[in-house]
Amino acid sequence: FIMVSPDMRFHVIIAAVFWFGFVDSRKIKGISSSYKRFYRQRKSFLCIHGSKIIPFEQVNDDYCDCDDGSDEPGTSACPRGRFYCTNLGFRPHYIPSSRVNDGICDCCDASDEYNSHAHCQNTCWNLGQRERAYVAGQMRTLDEGLQLKQQLIEEGLLLWRENRELQQVAEDLQIKLEEHRRKKHKADRLKEQTLKGLQAGDSSLFKRQNSTVISTFQLLDSNNDGSITVDEVQAKVALVHDEERVLSEDEAVALLGGGDQMDLTKFQHTLWDILTKGDSVKVNYGPDWEFLFLNSQCYKLNVYGYTYTLCPFNQVTQKSTAGTEVSLGRWGMWAATPKHQYSQMVYENGEPCWQGGSRSTTVTLTCGTETALLSVKEPSKCQYIMDFQTPVACQPVLKQRGIHSEL
Amino acid sequence: MAPVLMLWLVMSLSGTWAVDKGNFKTCDQSAFCKRQRALKPGESPYRALLETMELTSTRLTLQLINDNNKVHLLLELYRLQGNITRVKINELKPLKPRYEVPDVLIREPSTEPLSLLSQDENGVVLSLGSESQRVIVSARPFRLDIMEGRDVLMSLNSRGLLAFEQLRMRKDTQVDPEGEKKEEADLANQAEKAKEEEEKVEDGMWEETFKSHSDSKPNGPSAISLDFSLPGVEHVYGIPEHADTLRLKTTDNGDPYRLYNLDVFQYELYNPMALYGAVPVMLAHNAQRTTGIFWLNAAETWVDISSNTAGKTVFGKMLDYVQGSSETPQTDVRWISESGIIDVFIMLGPTPKDVFSQYASLTGTQSFPPEAAVGYHQCRWNYNDQEDVTSVDAGFDEHNIPYDYIWLDIEHTDGKRYFTWDPHKFATPKEMLQGLMDKKRKMVAIVDPHIKVDSNYKIHNEIRNRAFYIKNKDGGDYEGWCWPGSAGYPDFTRADMRDWWASMFAYDQYEGSMENLYTWNDMNEPSVFNGPEVTMHKDAVHGAWEHRDVHNLYGFYVQMATAQGLIRRSGGVERPFVLTRAFFAGSQRYGAVWTGDNAAEWDHLKISIPMCLSLGLVGISFCGADVGGFFKSPSTELLVRWYQTGAYQPFFRAHAHLDTPRREPWLFGPENTALIREAVRQRYTLLPYWYQQFYHSHRTGQPIMRPLWVEYPQDPATFALDDEFLIGKMAQDDKHFTFRKLILTCVPQVWFDVHTFQKHNGAQNLYIPVTISSIPVFQRGGSIIPRKSRVRRSSTCMMQDPYTLYVALNPQRTAEGELYIDDGHTFNYEKKEFIHRKLFFANNMLSSENLAPDAQFSTRSWFERIVILGASKPSKVTLKTADGQESQLEFDFDASMSVLTLRKPSMNAGLDWNVMLQ
Repeated sequence: FIMVSPDMRFHVIIAAVFWFGFVDSRKIKGISSSYKRFYRQRKSFLCIHGSKIIPFEQVNDDYCDCDDGSDEPGTSACPRGRFYCTNLGFRPHYIPSSRVNDGICDCCDASDEYNSHAHCQNTCWNLGQRERAYVAGQMRTLDEGLQLKQQLIEEGLLLWRENRELQQVAEDLQIKLEEHRRKKHKADRLKEQTLKGLQAGDSSLFKRQNSTVISTFQLLDSNNDGSITVDEVQAKVALVHDEERVLSEDEAVALLGGGDQMDLTKFQHTLWDILTKGDSVKVNYGPDWEFLFLNSQCYKLNVYGYTYTLCPFNQVTQKSTAGTEVSLGRWGMWAATPKHQYSQMVYENGEPCWQGGSRSTTVTLTCGTETALLSVKEPSKCQYIMDFQTPVACQPVLKQRGIHSEL
Repeated sequence: MAPVLMLWLVMSLSGTWAVDKGNFKTCDQSAFCKRQRALKPGESPYRALLETMELTSTRLTLQLINDNNKVHLLLELYRLQGNITRVKINELKPLKPRYEVPDVLIREPSTEPLSLLSQDENGVVLSLGSESQRVIVSARPFRLDIMEGRDVLMSLNSRGLLAFEQLRMRKDTQVDPEGEKKEEADLANQAEKAKEEEEKVEDGMWEETFKSHSDSKPNGPSAISLDFSLPGVEHVYGIPEHADTLRLKTTDNGDPYRLYNLDVFQYELYNPMALYGAVPVMLAHNAQRTTGIFWLNAAETWVDISSNTAGKTVFGKMLDYVQGSSETPQTDVRWISESGIIDVFIMLGPTPKDVFSQYASLTGTQSFPPEAAVGYHQCRWNYNDQEDVTSVDAGFDEHNIPYDYIWLDIEHTDGKRYFTWDPHKFATPKEMLQGLMDKKRKMVAIVDPHIKVDSNYKIHNEIRNRAFYIKNKDGGDYEGWCWPGSAGYPDFTRADMRDWWASMFAYDQYEGSMENLYTWNDMNEPSVFNGPEVTMHKDAVHGAWEHRDVHNLYGFYVQMATAQGLIRRSGGVERPFVLTRAFFAGSQRYGAVWTGDNAAEWDHLKISIPMCLSLGLVGISFCGADVGGFFKSPSTELLVRWYQTGAYQPFFRAHAHLDTPRREPWLFGPENTALIREAVRQRYTLLPYWYQQFYHSHRTGQPIMRPLWVEYPQDPATFALDDEFLIGKMAQDDKHFTFRKLILTCVPQVWFDVHTFQKHNGAQNLYIPVTISSIPVFQRGGSIIPRKSRVRRSSTCMMQDPYTLYVALNPQRTAEGELYIDDGHTFNYEKKEFIHRKLFFANNMLSSENLAPDAQFSTRSWFERIVILGASKPSKVTLKTADGQESQLEFDFDASMSVLTLRKPSMNAGLDWNVMLQ
């Protein structure tokens, strides 16, 4: 019975491969140099977990003898085995044994497909180049990012100080205003007075969700010159308690943060924040108040015909081309990951969904030199995830895994 | 209007999670069913006119007369090859032709001669071939009895419920346009006026209204009905699709089982309501014989079942026995259809396997799928974009879980225009498909039969220009509301339409498609959101026929045309894979079926077993349920259990509703990922066995997933079991879903736990403790099962891998099994390019023998290990290969479990060899 088939040729090739393997036991396929010590003995092999001793010829003979898979590091024979890709020029790593000779190139040095139809190229050097360039870029980004972060922290600290002072002033003022209003309402009922601008001056305005920084600012900025002055503050507030008294100049100055005017940028970082959130929401802006500058900012991204807007510490919205706006959640909390506390934000209780529950958004913060919304996804209905990049997410501890640079 | 209605429906039902029964008809609300069910037994007006009998070499014909209205029917009786009797009844001279179902039978069945045994004025006795089988035709009233020896196997019209509503002119509109006076008029082909007075025009004969939908019924009443008596039978099965137990229940106290393909939103379990598909085939079984009834009719059909023992307790039955006064147990069945003719195939067994072969000889066998389709399928409504697909694909690699197909539901299209891709989310489909191909994986994209009415849509324009759309009763293109909004429905009953549809799958027509893209036909009942019972109006027009006549065939034709398209795009080389939701008798020839939109509930997991078993009994073996449940979100335990069950059902696909949270296998913590990984890996190790089962089913028509009674037809303890089943000869048990301890009803044999190799002796109930990580699966002593233990990324990656044989010895120390190998994806097996071997163990020798010496195929696969369960320790083991070479094999013997493992015998899987234990 003689039959020459391709199969037989195949077996001959296999045999040759293994024969070379036995001659040079230093060349055991699929192990890292740190594991070489387990394979030094040439007569017998002890499974690494110690379950069995087998003749050394049975190492990498394409049959699984050891429960731990240690006798077949270079073949696909063991279900729990792993194969070491040396990947000179790039990162070494382990792949499951089941990926050895499966016709798909897994190791960049092509070592996993030593007996398959796959034509794998050694791409480690290119990958290494790319990786090194990427890492260099990341390091630059990190450096730059950390510098920017420092600036932002400093700005944040200033804002924080102003904020705290203002908050005090506003709190005082609020109480007075509330007292006034109570008196005024009584007076209203008696006199049936119609007060135009009452609504505008009502502090509830500041808590209405759909009022924007700009519209509030414009309301206060009577002469539309882009800054709020003492006069303007006095004028608007005066409308509210017409009957009682006008804010004193000192009070108005205090509300303006100690100066005699306030522009939009400053307004949205200070007065707006305090008036919209009051003291009911104590937001954690990070250990160095580095996230404070995000407050009152909004970031947009267009994805598949929708415009997504992230206003950190406030809300997330989605607007369709048709123009309808849907809330994807309001500021909820920081979701701490084991790595660090300020890597994810959660926005909750957005617009309700068909099948119950409400829309929510999880924002993952990454280090970058600019602050921008990078991506929006909806992996499950009504559960959105965003990638958000900002220098203040940069952490000085970012460490690189080693790359083989020696060749 | 319509989408708003749907939205409301969704929201209003979200709290209850139950079908809105009011959307679907009861028998009482279906005029013909109500009419027919009102008939009383024992008053048959039909008489056989024996003088009209003609007997030729192929058939007997005979006229029947309805003595009430003198309408003549023509009875045709055929003896078909393979112990099948066919009975056809039609009007002798119908006003216009009545619909006869085409394309379901694979060929005109071959007949065998009938011979006349005796005849007198009361009837005729004919011989049915050699097996002492006779059919007795009684004249007054007409009745057929099929006998074997002295036993009656089956009687037709024994209860006198044969009914045949003849086509007639509409009297009110013909004679009196106002239609008020129901005056009797003399019809051209009818003689006796007096008798006609009995035929009152009843409500619903010429028009019927359900909810806001009106059915115009231009042809008037046309229902048919016939009863069958099954003496000695207490167990009947089949007539899917129903979410009910394997053993059919009696219907005396409720509605009949209904067969009418419907898109039922959130279907309810354990009731006879119609679902997505219909196979009008019933099996009857007792310890002596299995028979089958195939009622070939595609119109709305209702099936009543009654039994003279149904109400009796075991004690009552025993009392009957002791007193010797008992009547024989008997099941009576009655079929009612809205239109068409009576065309019934009586399959006389006598064994379950014979009935499967008989049915396969009529409607064909399970299509042989590409091997990859037997692997695991990952689906969700919807993977959102290419990046999503890429990351899910990567997730499987990261968590080392194999899969073969990733699926895209309707959102992948450009505005629900099938054959297109969303230009933003799936901008470069070929790039995506190439990415999958590089991993040796594949994709399925949905193509539904409702076509968006949009003059900028090529498919719509072509169908409209070719006048391929189904028409409404007024002659315009039928339009209904479905996913894309307003949609047309191509007339798949037309061969030229199917031919054109198939051509749309060509690579140059279906842009962005590649050879690793396959197809899923959903919504093909057809689903029409704003139609009566969420389907098409019955008075819609398919050429010469009404939708009423062809309804249950629509989904069958959609899948047929689609499978044809996939075959044709490869030049006839590649096997197609097409999944369908709607189906009919014969759908097994075109691909896989799933049980539709189930829910993430324990009871839905449980019902997946009887639902797929019922489909397997009527030829459709490639069946599965959405793993995890479609609606709602499964608990982690339910999801894990569903994977463990799904891994042992023929079609293994996870699927989830758009509104549910993500549930890819790695989202539930490392322990659960590991459990799911293990279940999927078990599926992959058994792929050689599954594939061989598919080949076997394709060749023989035997089901893959089998109820226990099919293998143990004489053991009444197995007759109603539907939480244990067999895959070929392996058993799986799913009682652990309700009990923490498994109670295994063991049939009299030796069984080996496939994980622990623990041996169990049969013929007893076993109590086996079950944990979340155990899947109770047993290999029968006496069987040999091939596996591949190197589980890789996908089945394609495992093609050339070595086999491990699991030889489970029975007490006689023998075992046998088979091994089938081919290229896994082409039709070349039809050209004898495969390996088919018989493996058997006897007299301490295991050998491989060629079952197909004329076939040619070579494989690189070899045997890496042979595990013999229930073995004793040999002193030496010798392998002898085809070239006469002998070698000693190393082995390992585990005395505690009696497991002998032969190390690396290494012979090629395609060659002759034997292994001797000494």
